[in-house]
Amino acid sequence: MKIPKTLFFKTQFDADKQGHFGEFGGRYVPEMLIPALDELNAAYEEAKHDSVFIQQVLDLYKHYIGRPSALYFAERLTAKLGGAKIYLKNEGLNHTGAHKINHCVGQALLAQRMNKKRLIAETGAGQHGVATATVAAKFGFACTVHMGEVDMERQAPNVQLMKQLGAEVIPVKEGNRTLKDAVTSAIQDWMGDPEDAYYLLGSALGPHPYPTMVRDFQSIIGMEIAEQLQEREGVGVLPNYLVACVGGGSNAIGMFNAFLDVPEVQLIGVEAGGTDIYTPGQHATRLASTPQLGVVEGYKSYFLQDEHGNVEATHSISAGLDYAGIGPQHAYLHSVGRVRYESASDNEALNAVKTTSHLEGIIPALESAHAIAYVMRLAPTLVPDEIVVVNVSGRGDKDQHILKQYL
Amino acid sequence: MSRTIAEQLALVKQEQRLGFMTHVVIGHPSLEETRQRVEIMAAAGVDIIELQIPFSDPLADGPAIAQANHQAVANGVIIEDCFVLAKELSNTVDIPLQFIGYYNTVLNYGIEKFMADCVAAGIAGLTFPDMPIDEEQYEQFYYHAQQAGLPVVQLVSPATAPERLQLIAEHATDLVYCVARFGVTGATDELNTQLGEYLDRVRQYVTLPLAVGFGISTPQHIQALHGKADMAVIGSALLNVPINKLANTLQPLCAALSVPPTNTIQ
Ligand SMILES: Cc1ncc(COP(=O)(O)O)c(C=O)c1O
Repeated sequence: MKIPKTLFFKTQFDADKQGHFGEFGGRYVPEMLIPALDELNAAYEEAKHDSVFIQQVLDLYKHYIGRPSALYFAERLTAKLGGAKIYLKNEGLNHTGAHKINHCVGQALLAQRMNKKRLIAETGAGQHGVATATVAAKFGFACTVHMGEVDMERQAPNVQLMKQLGAEVIPVKEGNRTLKDAVTSAIQDWMGDPEDAYYLLGSALGPHPYPTMVRDFQSIIGMEIAEQLQEREGVGVLPNYLVACVGGGSNAIGMFNAFLDVPEVQLIGVEAGGTDIYTPGQHATRLASTPQLGVVEGYKSYFLQDEHGNVEATHSISAGLDYAGIGPQHAYLHSVGRVRYESASDNEALNAVKTTSHLEGIIPALESAHAIAYVMRLAPTLVPDEIVVVNVSGRGDKDQHILKQYL
Repeated sequence: MSRTIAEQLALVKQEQRLGFMTHVVIGHPSLEETRQRVEIMAAAGVDIIELQIPFSDPLADGPAIAQANHQAVANGVIIEDCFVLAKELSNTVDIPLQFIGYYNTVLNYGIEKFMADCVAAGIAGLTFPDMPIDEEQYEQFYYHAQQAGLPVVQLVSPATAPERLQLIAEHATDLVYCVARFGVTGATDELNTQLGEYLDRVRQYVTLPLAVGFGISTPQHIQALHGKADMAVIGSALLNVPINKLANTLQPLCAALSVPPTNTIQ
């Protein structure tokens, strides 16, 4: 077993030089963005080999975010499910309440190195927007967050937080008015101001180098799990299963990356099943039946789309998973069978929030609750000496007024 | 049968004027009106018309064109409709018609079938902004276009580096489209003040005729291109001009294509 001990490690599932993971990924963008992406890629390649930069990232992880985040043994949940031992990796304890801050500090440091003046971000659940507004304040950048109108409504507390942190929040009125439309709007904002603006993408998707870079800044999650689990369970002990929710894929790839080359560890991504995974528009399960290859928003991956290649509407109770595409490395990991993808419905996620709150005193974000919901199905089928680690990618404070309607 | 892009450009050159490219989104507001708009444009003296295949997520398009795309998609306009319309129009107008669109449409349709059907429909060229030359080794888009005899009009931007201009020049055919400013499609009042410098830079690498678009909307903008570019492109500014005003709107724009006596090239 070889778990990486330093940031920016390589695995056999990495992209090629042009950002292709097998047939997925790449950089399918208009010429107007190529110079900006070239500049970003060069800056990133240089930074990740610079020990000063690496130390800056690690210092912020520790002193600003409060890492390592706890790996918590969920004793009562384990007892109730009556199978495998369940650990929660609690990214909800991070500053700003989710894993998103991990890639935000990394990218903000990079933007500073590149002498940028303004951070642009898209956001779905608002967690990435809040985390971006936070690092913008800390580093003294101006900040513009693009957010679909539907999401502004359902994640209103985060809109307020972003404004309080000094960010401008732009309501996106195009299309479905959710995450995908916010991504397009943010990319277009960047296209108009490539010199001064840094586009701080919030998931492991988009054109190269974002899927790789966001993953690298998130990989600390898995690295910590490897170490923390050995402290709790003994030297050399590996988890049997790692489970994470998958919107664009940042928290999941951050959890999985350090274990990709350890085949004994089974990796499971959980997509949003919405209300009905067989009806277009009612879910965001891209890998469920027959995944459809596409090129949208600058990258090649699987997208929910109709037979003419137009992207379909999606639905999830969680804004952060309500997205028609999936990060290209996930598409690749799916195609080669290294990661298994499952889904959990809106109702299962709500039930998981309730169960985890009542049994453990931990209120997970609705996104993370999809991963827990799947574990509630999985754990009873396993034996007590098997270990399941589930990524609680964020805490549920932002979801209170949605939960109020259901619980 | 309509002319090729090369033939039309030769004609423009012979007439010692700027060329004029316009744009429609197929099916916005309806297929029938698109057909009429193209015919009006051709009759007014437009040299090339970009027929945009509507797509749900047009990354390079600003609000006006994006909304037109969404409307056409919502109207149920699909690629087959685009081929039918193109075939009809290429029989009724003399000027070249080219498809502009997003790569996902082609990927879904099948790249070879797409090229063959373009040829059958009399399409004169292709512009796919999200299919940069870097991805060619993975997609063979340019290869298949070339096999079908379809020129691919490439884009360059004010930030395109010299090495890249060189690369693009090597793959370009017939015409290079210079995006006038940073940002997405959309009409603006002011033309980029550094346009001359930028186009000079492009000309160091590109010997083909240069079209300039993004933000061009008035006869004054067109006049400012004399001596700098070979072709003006107007998209968004014409998109929502009512059809009964279209001919009148085009008239002063077309008039601006010839060198005005007061503004002869210095
Ligand atoms: C708490 C939380 N988890 C998960 C996600 C989904 O994103 P990703 O799949 O990139 O981790 C989000 C996105 O907003 C989120 O806020």
